[in-house]
Amino acid sequence: MGVKLSDAELAELKEGLRRCSSATIEAAIRFREGGDFPAIPAIVYGILERYQPGTAPVKIAAATDSARLIEDLGLDSLTLLEIVLAIEEVLKIHIENEELREIRTVGQINQFLQTKITGAHAAPVAKHYSREQIVLVLPQQPPFLFLDDAELNGETVKASYTIKGTESFLEGHFKDEPIFPASIVFEAMGQAACLWLLEKASAQLGKEIKSNHVYFASLDGAHFYRKTRPGEKLEFEQKLVKLREPLAIFEGTVTSHGERVAKIERLVLAFGEQLLTEPPATTAT
Amino acid sequence: MKRVVVTGLGFITSIGNNRADAVRSLRECRTGIELFPEFASPDIPVKLAGTIKDFRFPTAYFEDWEYPADYKLTREQLRPMSPNSLFAYCAMQQAIAAARLTPDLVANPRTGVMCASGGSMWLAYENLHTMLTRGVARCQPMGIINGIPGSLYINLVALFKIQGSSLGCSSACSSSAHALGLACDLIRLGRQDTVFVVGAEDCNKFNILPFASVRALSLQTDPAKTPCAFDRNRDGFVGTGGAAVLVLEDLDHARQRGAPICAEILGWGQASDGYNVLAPDPTGAGLARAMTETLRDAQLTTDQVDYINAHGTATPPGDVSECRAVRTVFANGRLPRVSSTKSLTGHGLSLAGAMEAAFCVLALQEKFMPVSANITDLDPECAIVPIITNPIPDVPRIVLNNSSGFGGTNVSVALRRWDNAG
Repeated sequence: MGVKLSDAELAELKEGLRRCSSATIEAAIRFREGGDFPAIPAIVYGILERYQPGTAPVKIAAATDSARLIEDLGLDSLTLLEIVLAIEEVLKIHIENEELREIRTVGQINQFLQTKITGAHAAPVAKHYSREQIVLVLPQQPPFLFLDDAELNGETVKASYTIKGTESFLEGHFKDEPIFPASIVFEAMGQAACLWLLEKASAQLGKEIKSNHVYFASLDGAHFYRKTRPGEKLEFEQKLVKLREPLAIFEGTVTSHGERVAKIERLVLAFGEQLLTEPPATTAT
Repeated sequence: MKRVVVTGLGFITSIGNNRADAVRSLRECRTGIELFPEFASPDIPVKLAGTIKDFRFPTAYFEDWEYPADYKLTREQLRPMSPNSLFAYCAMQQAIAAARLTPDLVANPRTGVMCASGGSMWLAYENLHTMLTRGVARCQPMGIINGIPGSLYINLVALFKIQGSSLGCSSACSSSAHALGLACDLIRLGRQDTVFVVGAEDCNKFNILPFASVRALSLQTDPAKTPCAFDRNRDGFVGTGGAAVLVLEDLDHARQRGAPICAEILGWGQASDGYNVLAPDPTGAGLARAMTETLRDAQLTTDQVDYINAHGTATPPGDVSECRAVRTVFANGRLPRVSSTKSLTGHGLSLAGAMEAAFCVLALQEKFMPVSANITDLDPECAIVPIITNPIPDVPRIVLNNSSGFGGTNVSVALRRWDNAG
């Protein structure tokens, strides 16, 4: 958005809107170049109008929100597919078959596209990471990696770790009674925060962060509520509180089977190349 | 066994988009071939085509297509069509009108359609090109239908609400001759009362120019000189497209409803060369077997055939092979007169068999023998049979129509003039 379409993109856009009115094409260009969301209904109406057969009982210009696509506008299922193709191409979105199933009226189309486009704009889709994918991102590696999977969604990171019982430190923590150390629980939270920082922060900051340029800085308001043992699944959820170079501040909780295990009010990571020689004087304490 | 008659014809051809124009062109030796704008580029060595007039296909979008205003199609009807289906739709309308078939006789379990087309290579290309360059999700929903050879019967069955047999035949340049033979059998066996035989092809660079790679196309630029089947200087065929439709009907059925009978189909035969993927057997043995089988099926002797509409594409090996085949079959009888109407129309590929069978019906009804155009120096190797190089007054009563295709597939069909004596 905010970028002028290249000649090739403009040609493709016009190809997708063949036989549509010039007003429709202009609305599409405003949307594509300037992110003009209010232009969407004009684009969709323009596409519907172009595909509407002359014999239709209700003309699109006179259609209300309750006008039915098939019965009133005279569109058959294949024409609807053509319309979906055109909308996808022009608005640069993908519409799933399941999403189409419930759409019967003009009003439903508008509502669907509003939700789809503005919603998609504000809340990006969650991205899931397996342990194998996490290994490729984090500097922490087995046997000192305490995340089995993770999910990044906006400014939130959720992750989990099932206590295996084979972790070597459990032999001594404690004698004849393996308890997962509180310090390792906090370490795992740090690792989850680190994953968010490496995967998400560069987009917000506009610069890349290297995995060996992230450091633990401080921990405030750390509470531990209950012991956890082998077989239990720890679930971490953390939220970014503030991101300003060279610091990222998170808050988060840990639960197991719905019961709270730990809480951190303020976990601070420091990052950046300038920190290589001298850790920053943090403001986090 | 039931007898089969032709009760209606339809033409969208390079020499006319209706019966009257086709008759006039055949009688007056008017060519349908001209310089084809699609071949204008200097890197295309082929320049001529048997163009289909009054139709234009400027883009692959069906909404941009132009066709005569007499034919009415809605957007939904046109959307799954290829140029060959559109030609066929128009020819079907003519044939239905000529045969005076009512809508209930067209949409009837006793009425079928036997089709032949090579498919729209053009639309297949456009669809696959879109898939590769713009992604699978950008392909038009009808791309799965409009390019394939089956597109022809798919469209016609839906457009005309056909309820009986439907089939698409694919045997290269004998495809629609096979369709005609199969339709004939359906009626003879009593499986159908009426069958539409439809041959149709696109007319564009995608289905014509690939033949340049096997040097089968004429490189001449003067339609008054080429194609020149049976001439010593023949240098290949000129491509064409269009559509031809024959309404085949059980004689009793036709009589009962008082249908106009144009001609009788006496029988047909087929045989394969078993020789080569492209080249015809130089001895013409396969085509000779097809003709002999046809005479047997039609209960004709080698003295009774007046005229043969030859496959005669004007390729150097093909024409000689065909003349040898005719000579072989009629060695102990009376040699029929031979001409190739492809010298006027161009070679319609899958369409050829149906188009030329329909021309045979015209020749029988209108009592003339079409001339083999553009012959100035008859090839002595072809002169072993009587080629019609100039108009002659002879009136044909029994004719054969020959078709041969790649792979050495050969079909021959025997037709008889219908005089009310029956």
